[in-house]
Amino acid sequence: MTAAPPRTADGRELRVETQPSLPGLGGLYARGAAASGLIAAGRALPSIPGIGEARGPETRADASDGDLTLPDVAYRVGGVRTDDLERHLHDYQRLVHEPVGNTMPAGYLHVLTFPLTTGIMVRNDFPLPLLGMVHLANRVELRGPVTVGDVLEVRAWAENLRPHRRGVQVDLVAEVRRDAGDETEPPVWRGVSTHLAKGYFLEDGDGASEADRPRGQWTPPLPTGRWVLGPETGRAYAAVSGDRNPIHMSALSAKAFGFPRAIAHGMYSAARALADVGPGRGDAYRWTVEFAKPVLLPATVDVAITPEEGDGAGFSYVGWNARKGLRHFSGEVTPL
Amino acid sequence: MATRQTARAQSAGSAQAPRDAVVVGANRIPFARAGKKYADASNQEMFTAALEGLVARYGLQGERLGEVVGGAVLKHSRDFNLIRESVLGSSLSPNTPAYDLQQACATGLEATITIANKIRLGQVDSGIAGGADTISDAPVAVSEGLRRALLEAGHAKTWQARAKALARIRPADLKPLTPATDEPRTGLSMGEHQAITTARWGISREAQDEIALASHHHLAEAWDSGFFDDLVTPFRGLSRDDNMRPDSSAEKLAGLKPVFGRSLETPATMTAGNSTPLTDGASTVLLGSREWAESHDLPVLARFVDAETAAVDFVHGREGLLMAPVHAVPRLLARNGLTLEDFDFFEIHEAFASTVLTTLAAWEDADYGKNELGLSGALGTVDRSKLNVRGSSLAAGHPFAATGGRIVATAAKLVAEKAAETGKPARALVSVCAAGGLGATAVLESA
Repeated sequence: MTAAPPRTADGRELRVETQPSLPGLGGLYARGAAASGLIAAGRALPSIPGIGEARGPETRADASDGDLTLPDVAYRVGGVRTDDLERHLHDYQRLVHEPVGNTMPAGYLHVLTFPLTTGIMVRNDFPLPLLGMVHLANRVELRGPVTVGDVLEVRAWAENLRPHRRGVQVDLVAEVRRDAGDETEPPVWRGVSTHLAKGYFLEDGDGASEADRPRGQWTPPLPTGRWVLGPETGRAYAAVSGDRNPIHMSALSAKAFGFPRAIAHGMYSAARALADVGPGRGDAYRWTVEFAKPVLLPATVDVAITPEEGDGAGFSYVGWNARKGLRHFSGEVTPL
Repeated sequence: MATRQTARAQSAGSAQAPRDAVVVGANRIPFARAGKKYADASNQEMFTAALEGLVARYGLQGERLGEVVGGAVLKHSRDFNLIRESVLGSSLSPNTPAYDLQQACATGLEATITIANKIRLGQVDSGIAGGADTISDAPVAVSEGLRRALLEAGHAKTWQARAKALARIRPADLKPLTPATDEPRTGLSMGEHQAITTARWGISREAQDEIALASHHHLAEAWDSGFFDDLVTPFRGLSRDDNMRPDSSAEKLAGLKPVFGRSLETPATMTAGNSTPLTDGASTVLLGSREWAESHDLPVLARFVDAETAAVDFVHGREGLLMAPVHAVPRLLARNGLTLEDFDFFEIHEAFASTVLTTLAAWEDADYGKNELGLSGALGTVDRSKLNVRGSSLAAGHPFAATGGRIVATAAKLVAEKAAETGKPARALVSVCAAGGLGATAVLESA
């Protein structure tokens, strides 16, 4: 029972490849790491001593990078059962300070779809390296409550490869529908993650991008909350989300990717902010986040959750390092 | 039963107005800085000591009272019946019922409100309200990871399942957790929350230090003049509040470094000198109906007229954490047909000097009165010469649940003295802010 073929934002029709089940992330990361090493040697990881700036001979994308293309495929997994996820969901909820219950916050569905999205990124024909990619932004729409016991269909693909000042950016799209639901309906959950691959360039790209304009002087607002994040924060979210990217796991493994210390998962910060909004967000909401400076662990993050004026106007939020006056992330939560 | 007919009772449609609840007297132990004189005293020991002093002062040995109500903010799980256990350890009749109640720093005042209401309804004729808190003997908890593993191991039916549960314990789980005063929903300490409110209202460092200095001087004068002679019983070698600094000066206070609000864009103004210290202590207040007091040949200090609690939406910064009393008082005044002009004394709990100042500033602000309090303009001005005239928490210290009892005692005695002196009725307003965006307020009148 396959849906009408999904199309990307620019109208490209995708071939649907149905997978037997959601892949396990551990194996994907091993594959992703091996592939990334080949693709990215000397480019995405210029800080590794001994490799330098020269491009490795094994680089698959050719020197111009001009013909980088995304795979014309969408992964689909049907019949995804959630009845055994109660404990996992509750662990997630406790970690990101959501109230514990059987309704899935939007961030949990990101975790659920993440392996399939990652599966796209580790395909041999995916032109960019998984490791070393920078999560720039995320936008999610949750159109109604998804609860433990629901049987789901998940799809994932990549689209919208476009230039960025420091490389190229790509959107990873995931959709969740109720299995055997009406396929003409919009998905109950849809997430778009924007990632940057540094050091890659498109032939026709001017390198400019709305997400990377120089920021003006920024003055933090009065905080409404403060998060004290211990050094284990990355490992704790990795354990629940399955995202064991080495930049989150320890200072040592993060150093290999040019970070002085381990950094918090962006989606952990975004999920904490979503939780801080509280019941005012309702059952259906749009949740966006844009990441700025990474949160180096351990960290104290000041946050301001600001209700916007007017009924149903939602909330804006921002998190920053008060000592340095640096913004970590900002976004909005808007009831739908 | 009813001895007074009030307009309020009629408007509430009650056929019979409630009778009066009166404050007979009070007793507390001196408040001690954390980790000092009461370092090894438990909440139960402190509350029992305060209770026994009250029983001795008013000859209540063997007496069956209507109820004893109180609590502690920082409480061991074994103290589930803290107040009842204290009653059983006192010389009150063991047939005196008791229960624990907790509303953060408003615990003591809320306990007083509860007893007063039961007396007014005729459900009890007498009662004792109070509270105790110790920082020195605070519970230390195990980490969430260790707790869950231990509970799971305890529930396990086989040794394999038990071993599996225990195997989940990680070294980091073994670190003990001490109680924090952080707001659970925001992660900001009470001081940091108040620093934000202080910044919003633009309260100066000098104005805060002035409040702190007045608190120390007023409390010292009160001790020296014997005001607390019939309100305090010595405990563990302490006969006066040991946080009090009678020789404090504006210069000394000005020399202290700010401790809260240091990461805000505005200059930090809150110091250890203009914030309350962590303190140990316990307090009690004896209330009764007029008939009960008379039949037991006991004095009457004040009538507990009415009370109002409030809560504010502080989580997203809509209102300051400690600003709930600002909202409670206008409702309390309106219901009783009173204005700020009608009071002889204002007892505003000094959680921080700036809490008092942001409260006063909010009441004086016409826009705030209109937009936030729903009034036609500013609520009014508090005459500073009537404010915390016998000192407050900055000088005495603030053992959370014990503060309400201290303040009610002071307010009751103040109106009694004033009425005796002038021959005219006197009235006091009590305001206590609390964690969780809560606040409790009350009106007392000379009896």
